[in-house]
Amino acid sequence: MCYVCQVANDVDQQARELSASDWLELANYAVDNGMVFLLLTGGEPLLRPDFFEIFTPLTRLGLLLTLFTNGTLITEPIAAKLAEAPPSRTEITIYGATAETYESVTGVPGSFKNCCEGIEALVKHQIHLGLKSTITRQNIHELEAMRKMAHAWGLPFTAAWMLTERRDGLQSEIGDCRLSASECVELEATDRASATELTETALREATVGDDSNLYCQAGKVAFTINAWGEMYPCIDLRMPAVKPLETGFQAAWQVVQDFVDNAPPLDPVCFDCEARPYCPRCPAWSKLENGTLTKPVPYLCEIAFARKEIYEKDL
Amino acid sequence: MKRKEDFVLQNIGGENLLVPIGAQVMDLNGLVILNDTAVYIWDLLVKKWESDEMAGAVAEQFEVDLETAQRDVRAFLNEIAEMGLLED
Repeated sequence: MCYVCQVANDVDQQARELSASDWLELANYAVDNGMVFLLLTGGEPLLRPDFFEIFTPLTRLGLLLTLFTNGTLITEPIAAKLAEAPPSRTEITIYGATAETYESVTGVPGSFKNCCEGIEALVKHQIHLGLKSTITRQNIHELEAMRKMAHAWGLPFTAAWMLTERRDGLQSEIGDCRLSASECVELEATDRASATELTETALREATVGDDSNLYCQAGKVAFTINAWGEMYPCIDLRMPAVKPLETGFQAAWQVVQDFVDNAPPLDPVCFDCEARPYCPRCPAWSKLENGTLTKPVPYLCEIAFARKEIYEKDL
Repeated sequence: MKRKEDFVLQNIGGENLLVPIGAQVMDLNGLVILNDTAVYIWDLLVKKWESDEMAGAVAEQFEVDLETAQRDVRAFLNEIAEMGLLED
């Protein structure tokens, strides 16, 4: 398991995962209630031996499907099968431009070769594909090489580097792998194509002129359902964990919306902070980093003030 | 001409969304938003029509003159033909 991945590779937890028929029941409820966009992610969705038992029926529901995968399990037959009814968008995360670096992150010998073969199979079958990377201290030196690698295949490339603590609350090595605040800001100042996606969203959303804490679209027009059928506002905020297969879809969605509507307001320290327009903190970040929905996240405070210094330098 | 069958028409929050399915995703990556007149035409296109013949149906349904209906129907059909939504 990649050390940056936040999904525990736990056999007991895998056994709790919803069945294919459960997933399809949920999808049909969601479509009946207006779902148009659906992202399939993990962990690694293709680890499920019954992946196509879920995916193929989903392609007939009138959804715009996106698939996030690490690509290592995509063989020629799987790429051909995907091409029969492809996702609107597929994104593969790469962890390095060489086997040495890639596999120092994944910890799986041969995974770099498998990933490259998976990418080539999808390119051959003309699947709409983009590459991205999670940048850590271990692979940052290959950022440009990864971009060139993507472009050599004719594929777009983006990078992200703001890693959170694990979602399951277990001990992580986050301090060893995520970039420092100054490194993040330095990178986003030079890596324009990737920075756009990360910072513009954050900046726009953080300038909301009120004290609302959950300022994005989570729990308003979007939800997440985890492998065990629990619904959340977003993938990083594992509350209120209501189960639509038990309560009914509409009731579950209402609970999630109520949770967002009744979330505590922004902490006064954050509300009054002069670097707030530059801060990407949200309740999910706070929950992951300090167990609250509101408290400042020191890592993001550093990033926000470093951004403020850079972006206001010439004002 | 008639419509391809590789699309699902959904009404979400009052908007009519035409979403490609199957291999059609390769050719049209996204969705098409239809107004009510376009939905009427899309429904008609389940069977084969000539453009002028369809304009007559549209003129009658929406109580517009035939010339206006012909112009609008041709424009719409050309547009969705370019998107690959039609077959002969």
